[in-house]
Amino acid sequence: MQLKKRKAGRVGRAISAISATLLIATAASCENSAVAQDFYGLDKAGRDNFGPGIAYTEFDGALLIYQEAGGRVQAIEPTANLAIHGARGQQLTLGAVADAVSGATPNGAVPSDRTQTFVTPLKPQGSSTTVTSASGGSTVIQLPPTPGQVASAALGRQYTTAANTLPMDKGFRDHRAALTAGWSQPLGWISEIGGGGGFSREEDYQSITANVRAAKNFNSDNTTISLDLNGEFDSSFPFGGVPTGLSAMNAQFKPVTTRHKTQLGFVLGLTEVMTRNWLMALNYSYDSQKGYQTDPYRVISVVDPVSGEPTSTLYENRPERRKTQSLFWDNKLAFGPTVTELSYRYFTDDWGISSHTVEASERINLAKAWYVEPNVRFYHQNAANFYRAFLVSNAALPAFASSDTRLSRFDAITYGAKIGFRVSGRSELYVRADYYTQSGDGHPANAIGQLRRQDLFAGTKAAIVQVGYQWKFH
Amino acid sequence: MKPLRIIHGALIALVAAAACSSCTAVGPRPWEKDLMARPEMQLVPYPLQTAADEHVYFSKEASSGGRGFAGGGCGCN
Repeated sequence: MQLKKRKAGRVGRAISAISATLLIATAASCENSAVAQDFYGLDKAGRDNFGPGIAYTEFDGALLIYQEAGGRVQAIEPTANLAIHGARGQQLTLGAVADAVSGATPNGAVPSDRTQTFVTPLKPQGSSTTVTSASGGSTVIQLPPTPGQVASAALGRQYTTAANTLPMDKGFRDHRAALTAGWSQPLGWISEIGGGGGFSREEDYQSITANVRAAKNFNSDNTTISLDLNGEFDSSFPFGGVPTGLSAMNAQFKPVTTRHKTQLGFVLGLTEVMTRNWLMALNYSYDSQKGYQTDPYRVISVVDPVSGEPTSTLYENRPERRKTQSLFWDNKLAFGPTVTELSYRYFTDDWGISSHTVEASERINLAKAWYVEPNVRFYHQNAANFYRAFLVSNAALPAFASSDTRLSRFDAITYGAKIGFRVSGRSELYVRADYYTQSGDGHPANAIGQLRRQDLFAGTKAAIVQVGYQWKFH
Repeated sequence: MKPLRIIHGALIALVAAAACSSCTAVGPRPWEKDLMARPEMQLVPYPLQTAADEHVYFSKEASSGGRGFAGGGCGCN
């Protein structure tokens, strides 16, 4: 909104004069950062003030607990971030994440009205991820030794799934640690320029990421255009080796031990302060992935064309190239004691997947230092064009096939709430809880024989709880 | 390909919107930015909460990114 000239009379001039005085004061005080901090660190009411032009540090710590229904995956993830802000817009960020994941995970096979048995390589004794005969409902089996192999070393792991039950591998256990670091600052006419990197290591996966970012503010800082370039180099070294796609599931160690994936992408962003109350952001993202994108542990059932009984189990196989695009529109609206956030994302890729995501949250600042924030998220995706719940034994094998529910057509809804408490002007404690549930077609029209009586959608239901603490200090 | 056309159209709209906003006075005057200065009006006021959400959804859905990079930095998908 532009003020009309005739209205910018004495009041306008007075405001301009005050603004100019403040600008001069800012410029003058910046010469002595200690003085600037004392002055700007506190507002008129003596409260702490953190923001642009002020040097301060922010520590964020959080603990995430994730639990899936039905005794499936459970994860505990502590995270910590440290952001050091300089008075001239510099920012150093350091982050650390640890993950402990365990539980049962669907192996990709269909349920059957008969007992099913699966075999997989046995982790050697002494491995930090050993699955023993006593855990995970697995038993150790003797395999025919390969040439030159000692018979006692030729062992595999076998697990059994009861009739009419979704096959799950209960030996799933992993740990992850990740570190990130980033730097940004203004440089000449560029409002923000920076870069960063990350390193993440799991027991069977490693990821190295790097990014650079540039942003320019204009229109009285109401408009920001930004460009982020990102790269990722991943290595997958699954336990038991990398299986050949669409070969029969077996307990032998595979000769190929490691496969890689590279990912390059960019995010072009526009952030606009639309009015005093309304902040909007619009992002376009493009990513290109090349390399190994198959889940090395996941299998797919081949079933009899009449009875629908599984006749064999093959390792899944996914294409090695994927290009994704997304458009993300975010809005934040401040009215009275509330802040409403409403966002929409459209995602599409060349695997045939497209998705719509709508998220809404309403933060309500209550009396004193408390606030509550209910939230809801709706998600819908189409299936990848190589998604198959199962393969049929009398049909030719496709080049690619995966029964991963995450590549199927489904809807998901998340709802939850957050409660926050401002401990002081410098620190805040919050806890939030969300419930996430996926729903899909468990009885597809192409189900055969006994499969018509089974639920073929292995979707997730999960509870997410996170406790976090933010602490700002000068 | 229809989705690609939509995306390309949206991209052009994004650039056009940026160009327009740079030459017109969209947005409040500097002294009207009190609400924008509130910490909860940042686009990502709680980075660890946003990161946790994105980590969970990356692990359970075929879509990722939008707010930022689509990569997960992990083998959870």
